[in-house]
Amino acid sequence: MHSHVGAGKRKATRAPTAWYWCYEFLLPVVGLIVAFGILFLPGKGQPSPGQWGLIIFFVLSTLAWATLALTDHRKPKWFSGLAAAGAMAVLGLVFYRYSNARWEAMGESFFNRQVMKGAWSMILSGLGNTLTLAAYSAVASILIGLVLAVIRSFRNRILNTFIIAYIDFFRSIPLIVLMVVIYYALPFLGIALGPYASGVVSLSLVYSCMEAEAFRSGIESIHRGQVEAARALGLTAFKTMRLIVLPQAIRVVIPPVTGDMVGLLKGTAVASVIALPELLKRGQEVMVWKSSPTPLIAVTLIYLIILLPFIRMTMVLERRMKRWVKSTAR
Amino acid sequence: MGEEHGQVMVEAIEIQKYFKDLHVLRGISTKVMRGQVVAIIGPSGSGKSTFLRCLNRLEEPTSGEVFIDGMEVTHPRVDLNKVRAEIGMVFQSFNLFPHLTAIENIKLAPMHVRGLNDKEAMERGMGLLKKVGLVDKAHTFPDQLSGGQQQRVAIARALAMQPKVMFFDEPTSALDPEMIGEVLDVMKSMARDGMTMMVVSHEMGFIREVADHILIMDGGIIIEEGTPAQVFEHPTQQRTQNFLSKIL
Repeated sequence: MHSHVGAGKRKATRAPTAWYWCYEFLLPVVGLIVAFGILFLPGKGQPSPGQWGLIIFFVLSTLAWATLALTDHRKPKWFSGLAAAGAMAVLGLVFYRYSNARWEAMGESFFNRQVMKGAWSMILSGLGNTLTLAAYSAVASILIGLVLAVIRSFRNRILNTFIIAYIDFFRSIPLIVLMVVIYYALPFLGIALGPYASGVVSLSLVYSCMEAEAFRSGIESIHRGQVEAARALGLTAFKTMRLIVLPQAIRVVIPPVTGDMVGLLKGTAVASVIALPELLKRGQEVMVWKSSPTPLIAVTLIYLIILLPFIRMTMVLERRMKRWVKSTAR
Repeated sequence: MGEEHGQVMVEAIEIQKYFKDLHVLRGISTKVMRGQVVAIIGPSGSGKSTFLRCLNRLEEPTSGEVFIDGMEVTHPRVDLNKVRAEIGMVFQSFNLFPHLTAIENIKLAPMHVRGLNDKEAMERGMGLLKKVGLVDKAHTFPDQLSGGQQQRVAIARALAMQPKVMFFDEPTSALDPEMIGEVLDVMKSMARDGMTMMVVSHEMGFIREVADHILIMDGGIIIEEGTPAQVFEHPTQQRTQNFLSKIL
């Protein structure tokens, strides 16, 4: 709030420089060039070399005009937005007219709504599998990670050796390799896990390590004085952890853990290599069935729809967290 | 001196403390009687805080024995949590729990260590908040309190355990000057109520007024001790004189 007011004041009191009048003069001049360009550019089709020169001059003018418009702090925000949108529209027009992109062919392959008819139920069942797989793995990895971090914080040398070995090992193995090994190799040892169990186990193994590290950094971020005050009151080490350290540490850790969960949800796509019918696998099946890549785009859209709000939420949490840490810092 | 004259509340015998190769405490012995207020002063790095923290084993003494009201704190098989429940500790940086309100800070230990129910703890907590003059701040979080208010809540939190002795580790050093008085006033009233107190502090006015006994530490030993009058008016050691001339 305050900073806004301050910025506004500064803007109002700064005297316009000579360079600013240059701006003011150049902006309409270049703008006119661009407007003329839009009217007199050659039509759709392969341009001649001379026309190419014209087009390049036009593109450069557009970029110059956008740069001028966008770097002018005195112009209101909507003006910069308009300038950016305008420049993008002009460049898009040039690309549309003169590139040899095959729009129709691309639309037919990748954005063919006809193809998706009757395929949505399959895709959605895949989505259901993706979400359950992610949910089980998320709960397991957060719980295991929390327990590992708490045990680790008690600094037992023997236990910690094992925990650190576990974390280092599973953090350094690619998820896809782990999943394939668990699904295809473990049966030779008499441990036959289905695709579902293999997916949950491998995702949990990898992400529990990430969460253990996240919780550890959270626990370590709590000031030593907190533990001292709690112990001095006669609280046991365990109660100190439960009542004092963890409630504070978890607040610190929520944003990074949410971020990891985004990665976990995306990681479920790896389970398509072990024939688990999750979203990507279902998409691939529909692709084969309909002989069209459109389902891939549909799957992409679904991932976007699920994950975008998630990612926004991480940012909001992070900002709130920073405020909280600042207000409690001494 | 307190009424029950002669009953030893705190006894330290030959406390030694090393941090790696650094010899911080070089054999400290002292006795504090019930109801007595003992001030510990000395130049920084002299081991005052470390000594205090050794008494409830927030620092592990390298050797030596500590008794609190007859319990051997340094016994290897002692139930340390039980001992610490009897010792109130107030820190320089308050160390209130930032995720809990003032009253929750105070209620926590009585409920989870002493086993009081919520109602009893609430009653005790509000009584103490009244005593430190912060009833209206009961449901305020620490970050909304001034330093002086935070320290008074911290004192109430320690008192809620009904400790036999209170340790103060530079309770006013982190405070803005205008807030020191309110904290010292609370401590004075505790002293009047007969609380046994050990205070590391440089508030000479407070010490002169309240302390029964002063320990002056330097280089990990007690170089001089006595009543405030003895120590301030007739210091016997050159080092004491040097130190006092700097702070008085």
